[in-house]
Amino acid sequence: MNADVFEVVLFTIKVSFWGTLLSGLVGVPLGFIIAIREFPGKGIVRTTLNTLMALPTVVVGLTVYAFISRQGPLGQWGLLFSPTAVVIGQCVLATPLITALTLSATQSVDPRVGLTARTLGANPGQEAFIILREARFALMAGIIAGFGRVIAEVGAAMMLGGNIRGYTRTMTTAIALESSKGEFGFGLALGFILMALALFINFLLGYFQGRK
Amino acid sequence: MDTISNDGKGYLEVAQIQQHYGGREVLNVPHLSLEKGKICALVGPNGAGKTTLMLILSLLLKPTSGRVYLHGTEVTAGNRRRFQKQISMLFQDPILFHTAVAGNVGYGLRIRHIEEKEREKRIRECLEMVGLAGFAGRKPGELSGGEAKRVAIARALAVSPELLLLDELTTNVDESNAQILESIVRSLSKDLKTTIVFSTHDRNQAYRLADEIITLLEGRITPFTPENIFRGKIIQHGEDTWFDTGRIRIFLPTKKDARVIYIDPKSIVLSLTPFDSSARNRLEGWIESVTANGDWVRLQVNTQEPIQVLITQKSFFELGLNIEKKVYITFKSAAVQVF
Repeated sequence: MNADVFEVVLFTIKVSFWGTLLSGLVGVPLGFIIAIREFPGKGIVRTTLNTLMALPTVVVGLTVYAFISRQGPLGQWGLLFSPTAVVIGQCVLATPLITALTLSATQSVDPRVGLTARTLGANPGQEAFIILREARFALMAGIIAGFGRVIAEVGAAMMLGGNIRGYTRTMTTAIALESSKGEFGFGLALGFILMALALFINFLLGYFQGRK
Repeated sequence: MDTISNDGKGYLEVAQIQQHYGGREVLNVPHLSLEKGKICALVGPNGAGKTTLMLILSLLLKPTSGRVYLHGTEVTAGNRRRFQKQISMLFQDPILFHTAVAGNVGYGLRIRHIEEKEREKRIRECLEMVGLAGFAGRKPGELSGGEAKRVAIARALAVSPELLLLDELTTNVDESNAQILESIVRSLSKDLKTTIVFSTHDRNQAYRLADEIITLLEGRITPFTPENIFRGKIIQHGEDTWFDTGRIRIFLPTKKDARVIYIDPKSIVLSLTPFDSSARNRLEGWIESVTANGDWVRLQVNTQEPIQVLITQKSFFELGLNIEKKVYITFKSAAVQVF
């Protein structure tokens, strides 16, 4: 495989992995808490999350850009056009999705699971763990869906990473660039790899959804 | 934290318990005391508050008002979890976690950080106790309803609870599994001195198993035995007031509104032929079941609604009664209590 292609694929998988991992660390506990707690405005939170699931990637790119650009509040950290910026963008994209899917996964668990755990002596942490464990296949599906969303997006990666060769170039930004240069061969090769990855991710997703 | 005088009898006591859902009172129990190691049956029609009372006794539900005492000590937010570890509750349709039977039975032990060797031993013991030795590797999907209920009991037993609450012990369970469940309850109380509270629709089961029977009606404990409680509505017919259960009509002495009535089984007269009397209620039926009850014989007479009648053994033999025999039951309207 062409060294450039290999580098781009590896980088894409790496940032998508970190973006999804961080989103999971935020989204899973957040979705769980929203699911098990009753509070005023819960319906609004749910609607907001569902709306954010379909957040346009360029809007995310633009918003994060405003924060991390030189004039932005986090400007002095020099994050713009770095892999970290791409990870931040992907994290903002995937978190609502993972939160919303965790919320519905948790709510689909029979309420007797938590009560049963409690009556067997579980503390709140152990009770939460058993509920999440019962929802594990749906949770995995949610995280994989998050990974699928970030690996295939182009807007945020382009605006925040800047598509710098060997540094912040992802598969999607590379495809966009190569196509605009008329290098369809390279773009198509990357496109096929991305499709193969998407197919693999969807295969995993189907597997976990089938098991829940 | 409050304590009450503990004469050694009251292992678990509740005082002035009230539970409201959406402003409606569903339970009102001024006092209830359970003795250690005894079996107590909760009986009453659907919606009587049995499950709510059990949830309160299991400490899973904090009542709207009132106090619960364990070993004479009031349960508070501070000690609730400690006390909760001594109590296990089994729901009407217990749910098994998505893991093998051994994982389910061992759950309470694992969260108590019991060593694996000890845990496996205890899982084996508990599965043997419920007659499911060799089921450790089975998945929940491979079990029948009755077997799943027994696994859930084994899971509850594994943590050696002092108090075991069983909601609708044998509902949705076939006859053979029901018998097994009853014998498990008996041996738990006898061998392990576990205090057991179970709710049931089956009055005969309550008589068979329990040391004490508590009848709940409209969220309140009634002094009556659980039989002959009927739900229905009042119908006015000229000057007369009738209570319509949907199957039979019973003449009432009062005009006041009622949704539930109770007929004392001892105040019902049983005869082989209709006879003239001042009693306003006379129904025809056939004997469905006969149970000896000390000097008394308990008969269930099917008159569209099953009605329980208690007669002396002497009368039973004199009348030559047996199952499927056609009989008449007669009772005064004054024998009917309304709620």
